[in-house]
Amino acid sequence: MSSSQLLAIQAKDLCVSLGGREVLHRMNLEVSAGQWTCVVGPNGAGKSTLLKALAGLISAQGQVHWLGVDVRQIERRERARQLSWLGQGEVAMLDLRVCDAVMLGRLPHQDWLAAPRAHDHAMVQAALEATQAWAWRDRTLGELSGGERQRVLLARAMAGNAALMLMDEPLANLDPPHQVDWLEQVHCLRAQGTTVVSVLHEIGMALHADRIVVMQSGRVVHAGAASDAQTHHAIELVFNERVRIVPLQGQWVVLPNMQGNRA
Amino acid sequence: MRKHGSWWLAVSMALCMLQAQAVTVQDDAHQSVEIKTPVRRVVSLLPSLTETVCALGACDRLVGVDRYSNWPASVQALPKLGGGIDPSIEAVVAQRPDLVLMAGSTRGAERLQALGVTVLRLEPRTRADVQRVLFTVAMALGLPTTTAQRTWQELLSGVDQSVAQLMPQARAQRAYVEVSPAPYGASESSFIGENLLRMGVTNILPAAMGPFPKVNPEFVVRAQPDVIIAGDSSRQSMLLRPGWPQLKALQEDRICVFPQEQADILVRAGPRMAEGARLMVECLNRAAAKVSKERR
Amino acid sequence: MMRTATTWWAVVLLLLSALSLASSLGAGSQGWEWPWQMQAVGDAVQAQIMWDIRLPRSLGAWLAGALLGLSGAVAQGLFRNPLADPYLLGSASGASLGVSAYMGAWGGSLTATGLATRFGMTGAAFAGAVLAVLLTLILARGVHQTLRLLLAGVVVGVVLGAVTSLATLLHPEALLAMQGFLLGSTAFVGWSASATMALALLLCMVLALVMARVLDALALGESTARSLGMPLGTARVVLIAVLSLATGAAVAQTGLIAFVGLAAPHAVRSRVHITHAGLLFLSALMGGLLLLAADLLARSAVPAQELPVGVFTSVLGGVYLLWRMRVTHHGKHS
Repeated sequence: MSSSQLLAIQAKDLCVSLGGREVLHRMNLEVSAGQWTCVVGPNGAGKSTLLKALAGLISAQGQVHWLGVDVRQIERRERARQLSWLGQGEVAMLDLRVCDAVMLGRLPHQDWLAAPRAHDHAMVQAALEATQAWAWRDRTLGELSGGERQRVLLARAMAGNAALMLMDEPLANLDPPHQVDWLEQVHCLRAQGTTVVSVLHEIGMALHADRIVVMQSGRVVHAGAASDAQTHHAIELVFNERVRIVPLQGQWVVLPNMQGNRA
Repeated sequence: MRKHGSWWLAVSMALCMLQAQAVTVQDDAHQSVEIKTPVRRVVSLLPSLTETVCALGACDRLVGVDRYSNWPASVQALPKLGGGIDPSIEAVVAQRPDLVLMAGSTRGAERLQALGVTVLRLEPRTRADVQRVLFTVAMALGLPTTTAQRTWQELLSGVDQSVAQLMPQARAQRAYVEVSPAPYGASESSFIGENLLRMGVTNILPAAMGPFPKVNPEFVVRAQPDVIIAGDSSRQSMLLRPGWPQLKALQEDRICVFPQEQADILVRAGPRMAEGARLMVECLNRAAAKVSKERR
Repeated sequence: MMRTATTWWAVVLLLLSALSLASSLGAGSQGWEWPWQMQAVGDAVQAQIMWDIRLPRSLGAWLAGALLGLSGAVAQGLFRNPLADPYLLGSASGASLGVSAYMGAWGGSLTATGLATRFGMTGAAFAGAVLAVLLTLILARGVHQTLRLLLAGVVVGVVLGAVTSLATLLHPEALLAMQGFLLGSTAFVGWSASATMALALLLCMVLALVMARVLDALALGESTARSLGMPLGTARVVLIAVLSLATGAAVAQTGLIAFVGLAAPHAVRSRVHITHAGLLFLSALMGGLLLLAADLLARSAVPAQELPVGVFTSVLGGVYLLWRMRVTHHGKHS
């Protein structure tokens, strides 16, 4: 069994410098295909930077491979077809209509000057229905609340039907029911064979993933299964033992560890 | 038979002359401009050029002027076609001019030329300019060179007469001439400065500054001129300039402020240059008289 | 559905423009008169006035407005800022400097005057605008950082503006003419000028429409646009070229006209929500209509004297934006 074929993303000796400062220090990372991997860590650990480097959006030293191929060798549009990116807080022009915004996710599959085809419209509809945003397809982004907008942006990322989905803080502004919806979405995508990598602040949600990568100060502290005790211990350590991970009703929950309660 | 022959000759010569001929003159940009004679309808968009046309005796050919042209009085009845910088293209074309006289660096000239109007771009600033413009306009209007020569001689002798009227003690003064309240002054290289030079009076603004430079009020304070010559519109702003109320010329009242009509004569580089020189001489004499009164 | 919305608005804007163009034939130095009354006179000069002076002038106003509207939409999409206007990369100051250099060269040395006559004021203004944008690009060290581009544009604008003031001081007789240029006017636009602007509009529109998708993707964010496979570097170079070409062409012929580039895309977006392909096209049409209407007003408000059209666009544009602010404010608090 060739391990590289099962590796959706592989990073070797990844170094990224931003503004003269080294943010990621010689990171090595492997993301298996068809799994959901979550990157967690304290603020300033470099999680977003790592995700952008894996997505090929920023220049980095070292190597990033997608399905065994060096990212730099893949042509720009082909890269766009293979990977979908959902960033945080970047939308500027709120006059865009929901259906137009989601249609942008189909750009990598469209000819440069061509109009959207029936297939594109079908994918857009499917994505909007999956995120329960179909009813708002004619409204502008400015008319929606933060959470509603987030769901539309998720639909945009899903409309591309890419094999790799990288999401940076996708739960921002989402209320609990919609966070659960998102969880179900990710499980659905995984069932379809999509590889999902997400950066999450919500540890409780992250514990539903297949694998967790724990980061601190630009380095990987631990990478392992989400249900593994060692992974839990690594998470607790990296947050200075201010949290505790305990099992409850077949799931893992995160409890705050208040001052003076150091067990 | 001979009678008929010479008659034919006379007629054919006359016919030749009546045929549309062209005259070529040089404008301010040293470009040759071909003007079809006879020129019967003239539009002038610069006051000094209006005055030049009238001084050459061709005032009746003017069909339109700019809003600032006001001399001679007959000109004030003509249609006003806008300013020199922003003439109304439509209004100018509506007058069907054979020739348009205007200042050089404006877009209006280009547009009029594109519409097929003959434009002559002239803007006199020095004495040499005044002479050149006089002769150029005369040639453009088809007037004999003698007319221009005569006008120029009259101009020169007029200036010289005024120079002769200058009192000896007035000659020793240092003068500052202000042409607009920004303040813009007249330096040695302008026609005003050149006339002052003929009078033997020193100009505090050297030629290197250009003919009509924008002056730093401090420069004038440091130079401490003996006499100040200015137009009416400068009067208010002068006292507001720092250091000016203490200028010795202002304190000793050796300042001449001319009302708008006379200020026009002073600053226009045209045929009324002699008048302007006379005004300056009168002012210089008055100022010198004040000094000698005080010294007594 | 979007296509029909764009088409419907395009037709409306073009119809209004045609109406304004027709009525502009009557707006002249004698106040407003009916065009057919004028034609009845049958004078060759009157015909020349209508067809060689008024018509190309009004057409020129529309074309300049269209160029400015298009550049405004490009600037707002490229810099992801609804307050962007076409002059933000310093092209306005560059054009002013070009004009003051032209006026200084005139009456100077023989070579300078010869050069000035060959270029003309329009050539000098255009060259100034384009060179200023190039300077901005050099200062910002390329097109890749939007913030650096904006800052460099501000710096270039301020510095070139100061140099222009200095140049004007050295040639004070040019001051009045400079002011005329700065306030904007269509008085000197003829058929060849209109043809030049029409060509520029066609070229810029084609280039901008080719890059319309990139502008759409940029609305979702820079990293999103990159992840969608958009060629951001190339697109920025092309769109900045469009900006400088369109602004340069408009400013060279009509001087500095404010607000049209800023207001036209806003006016379109307030009525219809479409992607950039339609927005760029309609912004051009809207800009053309706005400037043509302003020009008509400027020419006929005080018949004997023409007011500078730039004053009208500033006043009208300012009032419109104030009204939009009130509407948005009330909308938020309702």
